[in-house]
Amino acid sequence: MIRIENLTKSYPSKLGPQYIFRDLNFDFPTENNVAILGKNGTGKSTLFRLLAKSEYPDTGRIVTNKAMSWPVALQTGIHPQMTGRENTRFIGRINNVRSLSDYEEKVQEFAEVGKRFDLPVRTYSSGMRAKLVFACCMNIDFDIYLIDEATSVGDPIFRKKARASLKEKSEQAGVIMVSHELDQIREFCTSAVVIDEGRLTYYADLEEGIDVYTQENKK
Amino acid sequence: MVTFKEQLYAWRTVIFALFLRELQSKFNDKFGLSWAFLEPFVFILALSFFRGLISEGDVHGIPLMVFMMIGLVGLQTFTVTLQSVSTSIKRNKPLYAFRQVQPMSAIMTAGFLELSIKMVVILLLSLALYLSGLGFSVNNYLLLITLISLLWVQALSIGIVFGIAFAFVPEVDKVKSMLLRPLMFISCVFYSLQDIPEKYWYLLTWNPLVHFNELARYACFPSYGDAGVSLSYAVETTIGSLFFALCLYHITWKRVLAR
Repeated sequence: MIRIENLTKSYPSKLGPQYIFRDLNFDFPTENNVAILGKNGTGKSTLFRLLAKSEYPDTGRIVTNKAMSWPVALQTGIHPQMTGRENTRFIGRINNVRSLSDYEEKVQEFAEVGKRFDLPVRTYSSGMRAKLVFACCMNIDFDIYLIDEATSVGDPIFRKKARASLKEKSEQAGVIMVSHELDQIREFCTSAVVIDEGRLTYYADLEEGIDVYTQENKK
Repeated sequence: MVTFKEQLYAWRTVIFALFLRELQSKFNDKFGLSWAFLEPFVFILALSFFRGLISEGDVHGIPLMVFMMIGLVGLQTFTVTLQSVSTSIKRNKPLYAFRQVQPMSAIMTAGFLELSIKMVVILLLSLALYLSGLGFSVNNYLLLITLISLLWVQALSIGIVFGIAFAFVPEVDKVKSMLLRPLMFISCVFYSLQDIPEKYWYLLTWNPLVHFNELARYACFPSYGDAGVSLSYAVETTIGSLFFALCLYHITWKRVLAR
């Protein structure tokens, strides 16, 4: 469970502060894999970054005792001039993994990059980069994995593998995912949180959440 | 609850990781890391050498080449650290996605990197002086080390202020380079404060760099004297700027993340 208490978040703009959330109170369930659904600009990514503590609210706070991953998107933390191995070691160091060489090996195998692991990341295709980032994240033990849509661009075989490893972890760990692709969400998640005008609603049944979300879109 | 020791350990881990990353990404061409040392080394050496060619002799008891070197090292330590620190906040922005990495980690990394590069440059310059027979013994090592540390802290602090201002107002960057340009001429780099009539000193001595440069020369050659400058001014401006920078950082760092 992640508790959001009296959270207010705004961004400054030429038209004055734009409030994304105002005095939000919500208990974010983490027992199963949750999808965050909402229209563009409703604050999906903001909520996501706030949960990850990549950004901080203006007032209020987010309380949790879970170890959360960083928001895994296509490029986070990857430097194109550095090799895959150097990037992996950097992420490993930042997250204080127990054995760097062990971690390196696991990532290399999981990401299926083979010998190109020792080439600069700028020579990778976008799919390979996504795989690398995803592999880096999956090989660290977190309680909650925060996954952005861009990460799941891998080929179907890789996606299957990703799902299998997430399922394997799902006994101790949960996933929070942001995506517009409904079939990807159906693949990974079992429940949903829908954002509408700064308010959050939890649907224990994913299909119910998707229904609400798609009807909102039609309105 | 996280103990203070664990906190320190976590900071050390992050700064070390960032430090290695900086080294790997910044210097991965064929010159590699050596360029970081060679470029300022050659620049300072060449400038001092040619200045020595134009007019022989010494400035108030210091060989001209050494005189120039001390001034240039002081100036470069200040400007390069300031530049690097102030851009580091924005440069490492993608990494703030990791909650372990905060703007302060990026600032510290940039600062330490510049300090270690400067140390090697100073070592190379001393070696060059020694080999060319211009070697001299430093009279007051303690003062010299204090000066370098203070200068570094001050450059770091002013760098933080510019870096934060830049995060909110991008135009600050242009103003900064304009402000830094005259430093070369007003910081007693290639002339001594003692060459200037005493009644005009007030035009120069507001600048802490003048104090740092002149005191560094005094620390190497006591006969040079320390007229018009004082260590307490250097200490005061450093503490003042550090305090201001840290206050500013404390109230803005969470908002800097969202920028």
